[in-house]
Amino acid sequence: MRRNPLPALILAVAGLCILLPVALLGLWSAAGRWPWPELWPENFSTRGLAELLAPYNRTGALLLSSVGLSLLAAALATLVGAMTARALAFHQFPGKGLVRFGAILPILVPGTVLAMGLHTVFLRLGLADTLSGVVLVHVISALPYTVSILTDVTQARGRGLEEQAAVLGASPTRAFLHGALPSLIPGLLSAGSMAFAISYSQYFTTLLLGGGQVRTLSLVMVPYIQSGDRTLASCYALLFVGSALAVFAVLEGLIHLWTGGRKWN
Amino acid sequence: MSIRFPRALTAAALSAALLAGCGSTAADPAPTPSASAAGSALTGFDALVEEARGSTVTFYGWGGDDARNQFLQTTVADTLKEKYDITLEVVGMDIDAILAKLSGEKGAGQDAGTIDMIWINGENFYSCKENGLLYGPFTQELPNFNAYVDPEDPETLTDFCYPIEGYEAPYAKAQLVLIHDSAVTPETPASTEELLEFVQKYPGKVTYPAPPDFTGSAFVRNVIYDICGWEQFQDMEPDKEALRAAVAPAMEYLRELNPYLWNGGETFPASSTQLTNLFADGEVLLDISYSPYSPAVNIEKGVYPDTAQAFLWDKGTIGNTNYMAIAYNAPNKAGAMVVIHELLSPELQAAQYDAQKVLPVLDEARLSAEEQALFDAVDTGDGTLPQDELLEHRLPEMPAALVPLIEEIWAEEVVGQ
Repeated sequence: MRRNPLPALILAVAGLCILLPVALLGLWSAAGRWPWPELWPENFSTRGLAELLAPYNRTGALLLSSVGLSLLAAALATLVGAMTARALAFHQFPGKGLVRFGAILPILVPGTVLAMGLHTVFLRLGLADTLSGVVLVHVISALPYTVSILTDVTQARGRGLEEQAAVLGASPTRAFLHGALPSLIPGLLSAGSMAFAISYSQYFTTLLLGGGQVRTLSLVMVPYIQSGDRTLASCYALLFVGSALAVFAVLEGLIHLWTGGRKWN
Repeated sequence: MSIRFPRALTAAALSAALLAGCGSTAADPAPTPSASAAGSALTGFDALVEEARGSTVTFYGWGGDDARNQFLQTTVADTLKEKYDITLEVVGMDIDAILAKLSGEKGAGQDAGTIDMIWINGENFYSCKENGLLYGPFTQELPNFNAYVDPEDPETLTDFCYPIEGYEAPYAKAQLVLIHDSAVTPETPASTEELLEFVQKYPGKVTYPAPPDFTGSAFVRNVIYDICGWEQFQDMEPDKEALRAAVAPAMEYLRELNPYLWNGGETFPASSTQLTNLFADGEVLLDISYSPYSPAVNIEKGVYPDTAQAFLWDKGTIGNTNYMAIAYNAPNKAGAMVVIHELLSPELQAAQYDAQKVLPVLDEARLSAEEQALFDAVDTGDGTLPQDELLEHRLPEMPAALVPLIEEIWAEEVVGQ
């Protein structure tokens, strides 16, 4: 029997589209000069690596605080997103359309405008230049994604299992925890990953609302991308992509452990 | 999300924030520096040093230059810790974002910000000072400023022809240079005329960054100086139509260049760093830089070929100084003044000259023989021009208010024409 070659081909093309740029980043991170039309860099330098490892850059601490900040923002955005999604999916209330629209507003308004408006508000609230302010603005930026992902998921799962559990005498909490939650986990995980990615890549909002007092990997990386320093930009980009992937892998692993390896979707 | 934020947006937000803000704060007179030392037995600078001991100073500025970041975080930070027990915190932030942050704080009436020192110059200094976002005057309090900076130097008195009045202290000097690879093209077109011959000989291999890129904008002004002379612009009023008439021959020249430029002059690189990458890749034959020693830095990084060489125009190229200012709501004004004082010491200026390859700002006539030796010992590296040759060919900047007008005229009359 001949197998259909199309899926394999699509997979190969998609894989190449992802892996080739990452491989190029790897090469650039160690390349000195790589003029056109050479196929291989003319020389290599350890400048990028030396910069990453230089003690005054405190790269380790930077990485930990960035990941911690984004995990916190992602958890909050997922929690708020899940609750909003439940309200939108299962309840009728006045102004529902407005809530749905309001939830996606942060991505409709240009990022710089949003950041400058929030800056003024946060200044009055005393949240500017604080960690809580940065977490909050990251949550706001991630909410459009978590709300829309989780609204779809919640609607698709319905509340059948929860109602079944209630019929059998479970309390609402128990019915939610054991009836609805397990089936929502894949959705929560993808919403959480999305929120993490959004938060991890926030530049301007972190810059303006953190006032430079909250350091993240993006804040250090973006100026090198802007300045066109391809070696340093590639080094930081690799660290950025690698650390985000590592976080996703750990999250997946934790969920896997928690569900005892059972297939939950 | 756009990272570089449109200037018009910043300006609009700035004025909106200021209008919305409490009128009373905007009208407050600047506090006098000595007031902070009141109650202390020490007077003047010693009191500032005492007040700053054990404190942290934040220095906000563009974070895309690893040589600068490293120099500040190692040499400067160590010196400050040792001499004054001051911790220096370098924060990478674009000047547009700094302006947005400060104007937001001013609008909200916030007196205690997070920014102490700002790396600034030109039109940004102009708009900050005009909007009361800076603290000062303070430079007269700094012993190193008084001892080593030439008070009569035009670049001490004005920044892009706008009076400084003690609101910023010089940090480093920049000057426009052109760079070629002597192994590829022996010619060094030293005037607009020779540049036209050069692009005709190598069509499609030359371009310049599109204004309002900092370097591209300076290049266009330099073309104007070369063709129309520089003197008439020094006291010109910011009247767009008069300016348009004054620069017409230069715009005519730039239109003449267009068909011979990279991509037929239909598009231009958006930033000087893109041009540098094009040059490093061999796609264009000339690079333009506001850092006169950039060939040395880029050869050392391995970005430029070893045969890259800077050159100037016979009639001169534009030079300017970049400065350090203090935010109006700086939490540690005393500390900021001590740090600025120390950055103006011959030791740190010479170390900065060595590490970052930027022109020092101290007046040679005021240096002792030993201090002068610190500067003479610096190896400016390959591909650069000696400091005296640069300074001999140095032309002053235009008034800050003319700069955006020229950028508009360029966009209207040159690009796509």
